[in-house]
Amino acid sequence: MTVATATPTSDVDLYSDESVLAPYDNYRALRGLGPAVWLSRYQVWAMARHAEVYAALHDYETFSSGSGVGLSEELNRVMAGGTIGSDPPDHDRLRRVIGRQLTPKALRQHQDHVQHKAKVLVEELVERGSFDAVPEFAQKFPVSMVPDLLGWPENETGNLLAWASAGFNALGPMNERTMSGFPVLKGLWEFLDQLATSRNLRSDSWGANLVAAVDSGEVEASKLSVLLGDFLVPSLDTTVSALASAIWLFGHNPEQWRKVRADPSLITAAFNEVVRLETPARGFCRLVTKDHELPDGTTLQAGSRLFLLYAAANRDERVFTDPDAFDVTRHNVASHLAFGHGIHGCVGQGLARLEAHALLHELAARVEHIEVGEATWRRHNTIRGLAALPTTLHT
Amino acid sequence: MRITVDRDRCEGHGVCETAAPELFLIDDEGDLVFHFEGREIPEEQRAPATNSVLTCPVAALKLEG
Ligand code: HEM
Ligand code: SF4
Repeated sequence: MTVATATPTSDVDLYSDESVLAPYDNYRALRGLGPAVWLSRYQVWAMARHAEVYAALHDYETFSSGSGVGLSEELNRVMAGGTIGSDPPDHDRLRRVIGRQLTPKALRQHQDHVQHKAKVLVEELVERGSFDAVPEFAQKFPVSMVPDLLGWPENETGNLLAWASAGFNALGPMNERTMSGFPVLKGLWEFLDQLATSRNLRSDSWGANLVAAVDSGEVEASKLSVLLGDFLVPSLDTTVSALASAIWLFGHNPEQWRKVRADPSLITAAFNEVVRLETPARGFCRLVTKDHELPDGTTLQAGSRLFLLYAAANRDERVFTDPDAFDVTRHNVASHLAFGHGIHGCVGQGLARLEAHALLHELAARVEHIEVGEATWRRHNTIRGLAALPTTLHT
Repeated sequence: MRITVDRDRCEGHGVCETAAPELFLIDDEGDLVFHFEGREIPEEQRAPATNSVLTCPVAALKLEG
């Protein structure tokens, strides 16, 4: 594709190790270049400013998800047709089937259970004092929760984190990380197909409700494995990242932790601020379906792909004052795009919040100071998150 | 100015209530109550009304007029 020379262009490699480990200077540079920037290395447009990303998310006819939301055609071919990779009206039908189990109202019945599990975990960690917050806190909680709610025994969840990680890696370009994930993903698809066939799901579970939606004719049987996957794949790595980043951010900003302890009603805003600042999923793509002109005169051509960088939009200095600071009292924090926005806005955000709020409440009730050691960040195509975080809780 | 609620899309996240507490309420059942269904939004509520439409995370609210 040829692009006019006046077009904002960048040859930055958002997927190099260096850039993955420290992405924020690159995001700032992209925001500075224009409302949309041509990424010459990957032959896609990128949006890094809040206003444009928001507007694109709310114009789903021009910016379509129906042919997949990854960077490479290889992945897009296989992901098209799922909830995240579809357009209305198909999308709305699939979304309703998953969504009605994940609304804040539907989640109320699980609230006591989640709070109790949070209490048990936090008490155990306080008792231990020092631990690695990634496996022992951030991974442990969602992994013990989501598969159980979906309806199968905890001892069958061994591969889940590897599957989720491979799934998100594959959204990137066809690099080493994506390629090494494909065989892992094959295992996931086989597992989901098998589960959809055996229907070996506890009665009264989310999975059993999906089976009922198939049996009543609300969705085709061929969609069952995709819908089961919607509960597993996007729900783990993202939540794990957010929970570990919360520990890391509060460890480095003790005065913010003191504020939360003094007024636990700040926890809702504090979790929003965590995912604003360390956005777990950096972004997803859309296909441009018709030529679209931006205010600076740049035209996004029909047929091109557009990478919406939620992580960059969330630090846009046009919207957030002192955007790199962690501030649990930030007045407009709810405007972040960490869960996307609009018709594809994360359907699991109520569950993610339920888990995170429960854990932060239990921590705030017991822990005076969170001490963190040297953090190791993951080298991942999509997920921004910690690989290891030595942590000590002081009561 | 009017607001329409797409009940199929609304998932009860309650962000609209935070943005415009005079217009929206999540009731005890967890359902959204909109106080101005089919009615003009009063002048002094226009700013919060616009805000609620912009911040609904799943695009369930629309401004009309
Ligand atoms: C902190 C945790 C989470 C983050 C940061 C997150 C992030 C996101 C984002 C950014 C999107 C939008 C994708 C797009 O624009 O194309 C999304 C969609 C989605 N998320 Fe999440 N997510 C989280 C937790 C969850 C959980 C717990 C679940 C499931 C139980 C889940 C299931 C989904 C599904 C199924 C979609 C597709 C929705 C649609 O296309 O209508 N997510 N998520
Ligand atoms: S913010 Fe949107 S989804 Fe949430 S209750 Fe209001 S209208 Fe419904």
